Amino acid sequence: MTANLRTLTDALAEAARADAGYFFLSAGGETFRSYAEVQTAAWRVARSLVESGLRRGDLVALVLPEADDFLTALFGASTAGLIPASLHAPATTSDLSRYLDLTAAILRASDAKAVVTTSALAPAFEAVRRDCPSLEIVLARETLDAPPIEPDAHPAPDDIAFVQFTSGSTSAPKGVALSHRNLSVNVDAINGPAGLMTRWSDVAVSWLPLNHDMGLVGMALGPLYSARPGVLMSTQAFVKRPVEWLRAITRFRGSISFAPNFAYDLCVRRVKDRDLDGLDLSSWRVAGCGAEPVHADTLAAFAEKFASAGFRATSFLPSYGLAEHVVAATFPPRERVPRSERVSAALLTDERVARPANGGATLTFVSCGVALPDHRVRIAGDDGGALPERHVGEILLAGPSVMVGYYKQPALTDDVVRDGWLHTGDLGYVSNGELFVCGRVKDIIIVNGRKYHPQDLEWAVDDLPGVRRGRVVAFGVVEHGRADRVVIVAEPNGTSPRDELVDAIRRRISDLFGLYVDDVALARGGTVERTTSGKVQRTATRALYERGDLIKV
Amino acid sequence: MPSPASVPIAEGVIDVLKNVSRRPIEPTLASDLVADLGFDSLQVFETIAELEDRFDISIPLNDVPATRTVAQIVDRVARLVEERSNA
Repeated sequence: MTANLRTLTDALAEAARADAGYFFLSAGGETFRSYAEVQTAAWRVARSLVESGLRRGDLVALVLPEADDFLTALFGASTAGLIPASLHAPATTSDLSRYLDLTAAILRASDAKAVVTTSALAPAFEAVRRDCPSLEIVLARETLDAPPIEPDAHPAPDDIAFVQFTSGSTSAPKGVALSHRNLSVNVDAINGPAGLMTRWSDVAVSWLPLNHDMGLVGMALGPLYSARPGVLMSTQAFVKRPVEWLRAITRFRGSISFAPNFAYDLCVRRVKDRDLDGLDLSSWRVAGCGAEPVHADTLAAFAEKFASAGFRATSFLPSYGLAEHVVAATFPPRERVPRSERVSAALLTDERVARPANGGATLTFVSCGVALPDHRVRIAGDDGGALPERHVGEILLAGPSVMVGYYKQPALTDDVVRDGWLHTGDLGYVSNGELFVCGRVKDIIIVNGRKYHPQDLEWAVDDLPGVRRGRVVAFGVVEHGRADRVVIVAEPNGTSPRDELVDAIRRRISDLFGLYVDDVALARGGTVERTTSGKVQRTATRALYERGDLIKV
Repeated sequence: MPSPASVPIAEGVIDVLKNVSRRPIEPTLASDLVADLGFDSLQVFETIAELEDRFDISIPLNDVPATRTVAQIVDRVARLVEERSNA
């Protein structure tokens, strides 16, 4: 299994010998960067970082919205033996102070030694240095242009390759630390015979953000590790005109592209009939769907709408995975129409078993297949014991893709990785040996393929003038077959008019996370109980809300 | 307040907003897209694409974060339409 174990440095060096590279698409056109050029740019970065005094094992935070800048900085830091960490860039510049508070908390908790960012954002980060004692230096990306000399750091397989901070969590930021071994094993499994069976003719096309596991590992490192071309367009270009994704596949003869369920749905709803003519999706042999629940209806509607453009339903590859497991955990066999099961909603809720219904309401789940080679999946009951087929429990994963841990957070790591088993927080069952994901244990909110921690949303609005400190609860209302509805319950302190406070809460969450809050409920004093556990507080308040017993003011 | 010349533009913008929203809304010039009309970020981007098609303009994406109210959108669209006809 470890026959082809490679560090990021090795993979980059191998790719640099091929003639492939990245195509970066933007409004202004396209830029091709061969992997050899990427390596040269990475060496410049590596040399500059070392010359600025950074030492092996130091954490370097990258806040870089442009794909080219970000990837070359990530490879540069990693090949220099430093630990790059991706942090999300601000969604807007209008409310930078709260963004910087959030980011400073991450920099502090991770002992970041340096920030690499755009020259526009550099002064703002310079200003947070006084709150971050370990932060030695803030560097603008364009200044990292030292002569390209091959780094002599030679990272070892078990060194941390990079850390991924999904959404910031203020009290205990969760940065997923992955080793070179983690990456190599997972990416090779994705590209291998039990995964996509990547071939010399493959071309990957992606609009996924690079601070997301599926965007970075799946769609940017995946092609690089197999020395195949990767076409990367911006997320904004996709959400503005979803057809641009399909046009890129058409133009580059794209064969591999992954996206969350919502993206397929967006194409069904928004690609206009007059645009279908110019599309040719016949080259698309792996249409991966993951990062959020996969809906059979969405896939069927997509396949029907784009059949005339050459799309085949057998290209769909519904997958399960998470950042704590690099990216991928399970795949079904390729070249198969997605397998779905319709089960009784009542039995699922009352008895926690997934069986066909004899009448009554049903729920449909899509198979995400089987564990990667040398990896294991287990469904665990409340007592931790393995459950038989069709019984619903927490999905546990074991194998060489399980993360090193949450960076500098041993207690949080021990919480989710026990005896080698990663506790995913997702609920599922196994049927005929295949995994069906059917819910969540944790209170994570998933919208458009992105995970949000309720404590981050709560923290973000807790300091608004009209809110009683500590009396804010955020949660997602999960409805089968639909996106989570985001709810915030807050107790007002009477200093802001009601409507203004609701607006301010929505605005703050939108500015910081780009997330729309479906319902802001201002509740009577005493609704949100003060407990030491946010989880207890959330569960109790959510129960009131869902029963309709919440007394609003 | 918009100039008289932008009245048809305001009507067009409001029409686009109604089409993009999947619930019954009655936007006014003072409406805030997120707080009042309940637009999520996907709908904001959909609005941009629809406005570009309807008015035959190109809206730079870096304008987006600063645009919050219907009046601001109308103003921006009116200026882009004017630039196009002057070009």
